[in-house]
Amino acid sequence: FSRRRERAARGLGAGGAMEFRLEAHRIVSISLGKIYSARGQRGGLKLHKNLLVSLVLRSARRVYLGEPGGECALPPRPGPPPPPDCERLRRGCRPLASEAAARGRPECPAESPRKRSAAERDPAAGYPGKKPRRETEQPPPQEDMETGNVASLISIFGSGFSGLLGKERGAAEATEPGQVCCEQPVLRSLNPWSTAIVAF
Amino acid sequence: MEGESIYEVDSEDGVGADIISTVEFNHTGELLATGDKGGRVVIFQREPESKNEPYNQGEYNVYSTFQSHEPEFDYLKSLEIEEKINKIKWLPQQNAAHSLLSTNDKTIKLWKVTERDKRPEGYNLKDEEGKLKDLSTVTSLQVPVLKPMDLMVEVTPRRIFANGHTYHVNSISVNSDCETYMSADDLRINLWHLAITDRSFNIVDIKPANMEDLTEVITASEFHPHHCNLFVYSSSKGSLRLCDMRASALCDKHSKLFEEPEDPSNRSFFSEIISSVSDVKFSHSGRYMLTRDYLTVKVWDLNMETKPIETYQVHDYLRSKLCSLYENDCIFDKFECAWNGSDSVIMTGAYNNFFRMFDRNTKRDVTLEASRESSKPRAILKPRRVCVGGKRRKDDISVDSLDFTKKILHTAWHPTENIIAIAATNNLYIFQDKVNSEMH
Repeated sequence: FSRRRERAARGLGAGGAMEFRLEAHRIVSISLGKIYSARGQRGGLKLHKNLLVSLVLRSARRVYLGEPGGECALPPRPGPPPPPDCERLRRGCRPLASEAAARGRPECPAESPRKRSAAERDPAAGYPGKKPRRETEQPPPQEDMETGNVASLISIFGSGFSGLLGKERGAAEATEPGQVCCEQPVLRSLNPWSTAIVAF
Repeated sequence: MEGESIYEVDSEDGVGADIISTVEFNHTGELLATGDKGGRVVIFQREPESKNEPYNQGEYNVYSTFQSHEPEFDYLKSLEIEEKINKIKWLPQQNAAHSLLSTNDKTIKLWKVTERDKRPEGYNLKDEEGKLKDLSTVTSLQVPVLKPMDLMVEVTPRRIFANGHTYHVNSISVNSDCETYMSADDLRINLWHLAITDRSFNIVDIKPANMEDLTEVITASEFHPHHCNLFVYSSSKGSLRLCDMRASALCDKHSKLFEEPEDPSNRSFFSEIISSVSDVKFSHSGRYMLTRDYLTVKVWDLNMETKPIETYQVHDYLRSKLCSLYENDCIFDKFECAWNGSDSVIMTGAYNNFFRMFDRNTKRDVTLEASRESSKPRAILKPRRVCVGGKRRKDDISVDSLDFTKKILHTAWHPTENIIAIAATNNLYIFQDKVNSEMH
């Protein structure tokens, strides 16, 4: 086990921010490899495992690209106070111990409509976008597992990868996401998605 | 604990077909069923204790073996369906026969296990081999007589509950009413009647309208041991939902939600994965629930939803290794947990063929190993220790030398006695505590 890598995953050590992003990049690559290799698995796609992998992928990607919400994946650092709980919940983070008392409030101002609609409808259920289901016989046998949505997840991240090539300059520089400013001619010629495929 | 019996299930074909995938005692503890990756079920029976052979008292021997599930291919979706037995549950015994449910990813089957130890002899129209007699040789009539024969155990499939699940079945649970049972997959839970195979009722459905909104799946479920209207299901987010079937036909609204807020100092990229509950078990009393996530086992009181009443660290030294365990897929391992008969001790498996027991009263815990070297018959199991730096004692194992391919995912505890069954890859270990056989 690489100690340095493990500490980076926890956000400790010198040059913590840079190690974070390197670690995040590595986790993104590993996760994509898992999703890709899961397609050929015997027994069909394992929904539970692939969901967990996609959640890790999302967190790591947020940290790597420096997007808001990326901090949810990391332990708290001293600095500005944590955002109000509505903000955290909007980012999809789990409520913290300090916010547990505030949990259960059905309404939050200025929320994105898609994620909040189900909670407003039925605070107890908490599952977005679910259609009501009457007592019925077994679901029609032709129902698809909809694993095709995993493929769309991959292509979404694939297009977002074009920005990753330009991040080698370091966290100090603020670069526009999506801007390709790679300095190594070899990498410039490779599609970022095929790089991930070749690695696995 | 004494080492008692070790069974190795031999595989004739394919590597890994004999990896044990589930272990379950029946309600009296007389029978122990195991399922494996190759779709086979092996049932062990405990020998009755007798004064004549005191050393063979209470040993488990193979009672019956049968092929429960075969690999299938769904041509419509181009999917292979694994024959691996995910769960076995015994029905309470209602007559001379025993019944059990076994399930793979898609299909649940009800099996009836019967004994035959007599056979009729002296037919009038057939001879000993069963060939028809020449009628001219029959001059008198005789009544066929039942004569004893060598014990034969017959297992027959009585019901096949198919086409109920689109996603992979992870658990089944027989209701205390002994008439119904439920089966849970990643997104739905169905209620079946044991006698009816062509329909089931969907009682939980957490599938979102748009699968890209999916954030949570069902990981395990169980009926309450006494209240036939209550059941619990666990989620990949670490929460438990207790549902009351009297409240409505569709139990999407939980009666109680058990969830512990996250500890911010432990947050990492893998917090979500390690909080996913891999197993949930009601206590025998019905008052508590036991859950297992990647690093801990927790005891929950049904009367308190805000946090567990007890948390036990199974292998906290792995917390700093999560990235590597993610890489080698070990972080996705699903460990089970078990109560002893009096709900005073809980047990769960770990890596390196270690398993752990926690005494809820004394707060003492022990790590034991299931291995051939330490498990000769009537050998005493020696407690093991994993050292995490600091002083290292003799026989300690360092974290870095743990064998992560040797994992104990499936364990079972006899319903009343101190007998445990431990599945270590393709070996089954049965340990008995002869000194403290009775529950305290």
